[in-house]
Amino acid sequence: MNENFVINIGRQLGSGGHEVGLLLAAALNIDFYDKELIEMASEKSGLAKGLFEKMDEKTGRSMIHGIFSMHSGVNNEVYAGNYLCNETLFKIQSDVIRELAEKKSCLFVGRCADYILRDNERVVNVFIAADPADRVKRVMQKQGLTAEKAEELIEKTDKKRSGYYNFYSNKVWGAAESYHLCINTSALGIEGTVNLVRHFVEEKLKLKV
Amino acid sequence: MEQKSSPIALGTEDIGKLLLQYAIPAIIAMTASSIYHITDSIFIGHGVGALAISGLALTFPLMNLAAAFGSLVGAGGAALMSMRLGQKDYLSSNKILGNVFLLNIIIGISFTIVVLVFLDPILYFFGASEATLPYAHEYMVVILLGNVITHLYMGLNALLRSTGNPQKSMYATLFSVLINIVLNPLFIFGFKWGIQGSAFATIIAQTIMLIWQIKIFSNKNQFIHFKKEFFRLQRKIVADILSIGLSPFLMNAASCIIVVVINQGLIRYGGDLSVGAYGIVNRVIFFFAMIVMGFNQGMQPIAGYNYGAGQYGRVSEVLKKTIIMATAVVVVGFIIGQLFPYAVASAFTDDKELIDRSVEGLRIVLLFFPVIGFQMVTSNFFQSIGMAGKAIFLSLTRQLIFLLPALLILPLFFGVKGIWYSMPVADFASTIIAAFMLASQFRSLKAQK
Repeated sequence: MNENFVINIGRQLGSGGHEVGLLLAAALNIDFYDKELIEMASEKSGLAKGLFEKMDEKTGRSMIHGIFSMHSGVNNEVYAGNYLCNETLFKIQSDVIRELAEKKSCLFVGRCADYILRDNERVVNVFIAADPADRVKRVMQKQGLTAEKAEELIEKTDKKRSGYYNFYSNKVWGAAESYHLCINTSALGIEGTVNLVRHFVEEKLKLKV
Repeated sequence: MEQKSSPIALGTEDIGKLLLQYAIPAIIAMTASSIYHITDSIFIGHGVGALAISGLALTFPLMNLAAAFGSLVGAGGAALMSMRLGQKDYLSSNKILGNVFLLNIIIGISFTIVVLVFLDPILYFFGASEATLPYAHEYMVVILLGNVITHLYMGLNALLRSTGNPQKSMYATLFSVLINIVLNPLFIFGFKWGIQGSAFATIIAQTIMLIWQIKIFSNKNQFIHFKKEFFRLQRKIVADILSIGLSPFLMNAASCIIVVVINQGLIRYGGDLSVGAYGIVNRVIFFFAMIVMGFNQGMQPIAGYNYGAGQYGRVSEVLKKTIIMATAVVVVGFIIGQLFPYAVASAFTDDKELIDRSVEGLRIVLLFFPVIGFQMVTSNFFQSIGMAGKAIFLSLTRQLIFLLPALLILPLFFGVKGIWYSMPVADFASTIIAAFMLASQFRSLKAQK
């Protein structure tokens, strides 16, 4: 029986989700994938990295490109016979995620990994949030922005990520029933959150501690 | 679902081979529907009369509009299902199947009711006269009553393609055309049902294929099949289907408007037989345009992938080869139209006046046909490399932007010939613009390297 497991982390911008993921993956001794997925998808398909970066976690649907797609479908792997459209790029990236999950235990940040691996039995889906004030602080620090710009960026990113997630998965981004565990890092801080999530993972998957 | 050809093949295999591999199935599918339209016109022209062809020609934009509403659901549903199947999400895919079926029924029946109530005013607006109205009316009544069947048939055909059964959908198309070809003479010449006979033939052919499609989707052993609990409209699925299908719908609707303007101009400056003549000319052009579109669909994945992979040499190669093939096709059309117009027109009718007008129309409209191949391929090229905005613009230059003013102004000076001349004028102007845009695109590609 396959002992591998997967942890999928959905996160708000500025909540410290990336950090939590890194620390958690290190603690559990598994591979960590965030933006690295883009590089891998680009290598696997031969398509330029920039294409994947452009569509990364942004609202998936584009009305304009559907215009000539009426008689598409000669190859149903490629949506609308078009290798450049977001859906196809998403498919390529999701294939990468699936292949990685088959080979070994991993932790994925974002990119609808929880939807992509929904048939996998040993998964834990976590959503990381934080108080708005903490989020603004963190974004200001990490990106060198003013408070106002940070707030703007947070709002825009939340919209893009939820648009992306809601379109490709059948669930709702940030809603409790889409995940196994939702946690606010402002409550216990980063270290505390990592510890708690780790215990949750070990409980749920009956991992040998 | 196995991958027919891995993306890497698109980056390495011989371009000519790839182009044929992708284009030929598309060409077959698209010319099949064109052949259906041509044979309908031929049977009606010879079996019912010249005015009947004019009546039929009037209904083309209306039927296009009906098809547009159908593809709103079909194209959207097929695209959505394609994506879900790519994720092996069979649960969602079955839900999509149920939603497509229900939506097709709802939209199909609504369209039927609304148009039937306003049928005659609509037909007059489309260019009917007292003489042609009865034919158009009789024909449309049957088509409208069967509209929901047409929508379902086309919707399920699109889903067949999405579920990895492009052959089955091709068979459905081919057989419906064949059945139609057999039934048309039977109903028109045998039973003497007139123009309605042709409409009945169409609907019956589609009904038969629909039954076959339903059987396929009822097979519980298939991944995707009808499930009672999924015959429920779900807001998210409906919203996704409609928003994806909106674009092809708008393009279809736009092209239908322009035909209405043309017919209005023709009836005003030329009379019923001019409308009929355009109907004939249109069917001929449509056939060659469909072949070019088939090549476009072949080019799309090849150009798109290689552009995304930065292999611009292969991108220009496939563009060049597609332009060459498309131009060869339209040149053949040009030659046939200019050298044998009487033969072409006589295939559709024996009425001398109608033949003469069709010949005049054919010769004028085909004036710049040889460059249309280049224009259509270039427009689709921009779409293939992800520049949908430019693609739409180029398509509109040929179908609307130059055509509309020409249609309104030229007849003031040249009468009905002005209507005919509008089309080559639009062809020529849109080709120049396409050439400029392509040249500037290649300049910036070279600068990128």
